[in-house]
Amino acid sequence: MAPSQATYAPTLAKLLKSLNGQDLETSIESLIFLLKRRQVKGDQCASATLHILLQVVAKAKWRNVDQLLDAVKSTGSRLVQAAPHEPVIGNIERRVLGLIRDEASEDRNADDFGIESVSDIQSLAPATPAVPPLRPGPTVIRAQTMPTVASLQASKSMFNLLSVGDTLDAYSTGASTPVSQPQAANTHALKDEVINGIEEIMDEVNTTGDQIANFADVHIYPEDYVLVFLPSPDVERYLIKAATKRKFTVLIASFDLPKGVPIDAQYPVLRKKLTAAGVKMIRLASNGLMAYMPRVNKVIFGAKAVFQNGGALVDSGCCIAARAAQEYSKPVIVLSGVYKFCPRDTSTQVSWAELGDPSTYINYEDGTAVDSFEIEDTTAEYLPPEFIDVYVTNLGPQTRDHLGSIMADHYKPEEMGIALHLGA
Amino acid sequence: MSGKQGNRASAGAGSAKSKKPPKGKAEETREDVLQAVVLADSFQDRFRPFTLETPRCLLPLANVPVIEYTLEFLAANGVQEVFLYCGAHSSAIENHINESRRWSPDSILSPFSSLEFIRVSDASSIGDFLRDLDKRGLIGGDFILVHGDLVANVELEDALAKHRARREANRDACMTMVLRSAGVKRHRAAEARGITPMFVVDSSTGQCLQYEELHPLSDHYAYLDPAVFKHGDFEVRTDLIDSGIDICTPEVLALWSESFDYELPRKNFLHGVLKDWELNGKLIYTEIVEKGYAARASNLGMYNSMSKDILERWTFPYVPDSNLAFDQTYRRAKGGSYFEADVSIGKGCDITKSAIGNATTVGAGSTIKRSTIGRRCKIGKNVKIEGSYIWDDTEIKDNSVVDCSILASYVTIGNGCRVPKGSLISYGVQIWDGKSLQPEPAPRISLLTDTGSPAETNPSFVGQDGKGAFYQEAVEEDSDEEGGDSAALARLQNSMFYSLDGLNLSSSSISTLASHDSFDSEDEDADGGSFQQDSSRKRLLSFASDDSGNVSKSDAFHGDAVHGLVDALRADDNEDFDSAKLEFMGLRLANNASDSMMRRAIAVAFVRRASELLEPENGGLEPTKAAEVALTSKNGAVKFIKEVGLGSEKTAQQSEFALALQKALLGLKGLEVMRASTLLAALLQQLYHQDVLEEDGILAWWADAKSSESDSLAKIKDKCRVLVEWLENADEEESDDDEEEDSD
Repeated sequence: MAPSQATYAPTLAKLLKSLNGQDLETSIESLIFLLKRRQVKGDQCASATLHILLQVVAKAKWRNVDQLLDAVKSTGSRLVQAAPHEPVIGNIERRVLGLIRDEASEDRNADDFGIESVSDIQSLAPATPAVPPLRPGPTVIRAQTMPTVASLQASKSMFNLLSVGDTLDAYSTGASTPVSQPQAANTHALKDEVINGIEEIMDEVNTTGDQIANFADVHIYPEDYVLVFLPSPDVERYLIKAATKRKFTVLIASFDLPKGVPIDAQYPVLRKKLTAAGVKMIRLASNGLMAYMPRVNKVIFGAKAVFQNGGALVDSGCCIAARAAQEYSKPVIVLSGVYKFCPRDTSTQVSWAELGDPSTYINYEDGTAVDSFEIEDTTAEYLPPEFIDVYVTNLGPQTRDHLGSIMADHYKPEEMGIALHLGA
Repeated sequence: MSGKQGNRASAGAGSAKSKKPPKGKAEETREDVLQAVVLADSFQDRFRPFTLETPRCLLPLANVPVIEYTLEFLAANGVQEVFLYCGAHSSAIENHINESRRWSPDSILSPFSSLEFIRVSDASSIGDFLRDLDKRGLIGGDFILVHGDLVANVELEDALAKHRARREANRDACMTMVLRSAGVKRHRAAEARGITPMFVVDSSTGQCLQYEELHPLSDHYAYLDPAVFKHGDFEVRTDLIDSGIDICTPEVLALWSESFDYELPRKNFLHGVLKDWELNGKLIYTEIVEKGYAARASNLGMYNSMSKDILERWTFPYVPDSNLAFDQTYRRAKGGSYFEADVSIGKGCDITKSAIGNATTVGAGSTIKRSTIGRRCKIGKNVKIEGSYIWDDTEIKDNSVVDCSILASYVTIGNGCRVPKGSLISYGVQIWDGKSLQPEPAPRISLLTDTGSPAETNPSFVGQDGKGAFYQEAVEEDSDEEGGDSAALARLQNSMFYSLDGLNLSSSSISTLASHDSFDSEDEDADGGSFQQDSSRKRLLSFASDDSGNVSKSDAFHGDAVHGLVDALRADDNEDFDSAKLEFMGLRLANNASDSMMRRAIAVAFVRRASELLEPENGGLEPTKAAEVALTSKNGAVKFIKEVGLGSEKTAQQSEFALALQKALLGLKGLEVMRASTLLAALLQQLYHQDVLEEDGILAWWADAKSSESDSLAKIKDKCRVLVEWLENADEEESDDDEEEDSD
């Protein structure tokens, strides 16, 4: 029998494959339950949400912009409620809503706006806000590791909000022709434009990791000791990229080693690539991060989300590492795509700490421990802004002061307060 | 989709009626579609009185009907086609599914491509269901067989792949059972199981070699089938939590059909198939998972244990704040609790590790710990609720205390009531103000009797204007369940129920609530007893699985065996000697004792008993009388010596046994040689009369040099001279009546 290797468990890939053939409501519901069962989580959430919202735009019945906005909002809020621990879903929803508003306003106002952008920028992203709060001028770089090249790049790209640094190749211009077509007054054209826009956000999401990695050699110097805590895929990519140019040492920290997995088998891809590049990798599994701190030059985390105040949602355990780093005045670098920037105040949520499964710490086999301990396994925790020195985004390295403007560039005021709207 | 309920009167074997003809023959079903069969009726009444009104699979577990977890588990593992076997309350189950947006077969949201209800009107056991399923030919390839009370988050991917690989390698590999190991330490889930399954598993392949069920009331030993030893390394596991998830090939159904009397998937089917392995050649494998969660709410103890597991997130992601059921809105709050959106909590409440459903109000100053409370409940002021499960629409008025109990829907507990540990209060019962329920026996209060008819309200239980009566289980009801050992199982049901209490002992000692007076000593004794039995059983089994062969083993065997036999001989009751024999054989198997060790142990035991009888405090019998009493007072004791002590009727064994008796007497302290010698003569004579020893045997012993190799031995032997001479003389006349020369 041929499909003996077939896997039965539903996955995001399977869902995406079946999207076109099935009913919209079925797709939404499937994703909701994948989210609830944690079969889609972390970095997958952004692209999953985009795919579903794309389906909403393409398949939902709407006759005017308001109906479209409502459809996207209601779908978005269902997804957010299914996974309130994944702020990125809400971000994507806001981005798409902003996109629709832009398209709609462009349709209405014909093409008297955006001309200056078109003149000098290679790609006018459809998501360009109606009133872009442009903040030209060089950004003030405070952190000592911040190179001027990158900051220039970043500030330049401020004009060009959704696009990426000039050095990046992954971004194709083909998808987005200037949108200000006068005849686009009908919903059909709007639909096409919005779909294009969503596809561009997908591109952005997909290329974010590589774009962030492009800034790796700016931060990692030869002979550095770099501490990473539970490296996320973004961090891994970043290190691998850095390894192509620099010789340094990576310390990979976590509180405990997964049982039954030999140390050599952990992070296989990372290990293979780093070793191939001649970068030394050291595995730490203890709470005694403090002891290593004097030797460490910088600490790198991957964020699940960055909030308006500069705080970040990170893997649980990072806070201790960050605290240790602060004690020794070592810079903490947080990697986060712009799409993870969450225009919300942290105070709206009681706790962002998502609780996981206690079996991370204690095996269910251990009857006495099961009875006698209360285990709260947080999978994510909130890292306050004062612990973070630099944010490396796909638009380049940023300081806290500029997060607000980036958020303002990417989200419309209407969507900033969407948290209330969602009841989240 | 829907079946027509056949008339119960037309009880033809498997007269299953379905409106739809079987929709696909086996061959047509695509191989890559994963099918699952959910057994939504357990044919048990362990959840009575609740299951009088609601099927077990719809009972709320952490405020979600259990079957939701089961179906979600199947969906998470990519099952496409589901066959749901409903028995009792089938219309309730069908309504629940059909009204659910998520599972309804008509719903486009259903993760299953098909969900079919199957009713079998005259099924009286799970076996009947499965035989019926076989006839229908719905199952094309491998399928997953689960019970409707399963909560699991394990991934079956691995187990399925292994199962498939095994099946391709060997067509006879027909089933893989998913079992969760619970470790060797004391574990609440292991204790709550009630029945301890014993799996004998091939260490390298995971093949299941033997299956037995042990429970606190059963014998405290288990036999290992000698065939097991041919398999090389094996493990005897009693620590496994049987999740009831079986990955089956269609042959499994054929096996069920072949054996029309199998009722239960484990006790009958698994046990039987493994036992008849040489006949059917089928192989059954185990997949022992060490990660993840898998358990069945198979009794109240498990219900309690699993509710805690869910609140403590062991079942992640199937936890309240995942909001798996459609309209749930749980959020996590401080203190490890989960509240739905519209819960109102009064001032000064202390709510920890609990889940509270929508539209429930909790009055000021109440304490709720480790409990689940359903929707639309009204909890008054200063109420204390601990370790309890309260379903929807129940009201508990001010100042009441509810301790480790289950309160079904629409229950009303009046002001200042006390609901003691282990109470089961069924639908609609009203406990009047100020009523403290008797803690012993743990109250089960229902509006219905066990036949389902309205019960007469008993004011002494529920207060003057209350509603409800003490629910009593009719013992006869048990007879068609679990194989019919009704009395023992009725007690077992009880003990499972007590284990709900036992479980709570440890946790309530942590808590600060000082309401400990509700369990009495008898209860604890019962528990303590079963724990002891437990541990001794574990020790036994650990001997069995220990193949390192340490020296002390023979000593251990001898000591235990002699002790057991003497106890059995001493016992006053009229019980048969068979159970002692079984125990002895169990010990023997466990310790791998040799024949001569057995013989020695038996000889020592009988000699010890006989010599006891000589002592004044035991009646001071004469040696002849003592020998007779020791050997014959117990039914089957003589037979036991004959079968076990001697084995065959060869002269050599008889002589050896006589020698063992002689040495045993020598070993006895505080018995003078003369009396010992007389006793030996008396024993031998008695054994001769009972046709255990034949004259050849005795004469051979007499002639054996070993029997007189030391002075003391010779002295003990002395008194037997008369017997021997008499035997020699009587040789001719006394030709044996019933001797059968065994060719061995």
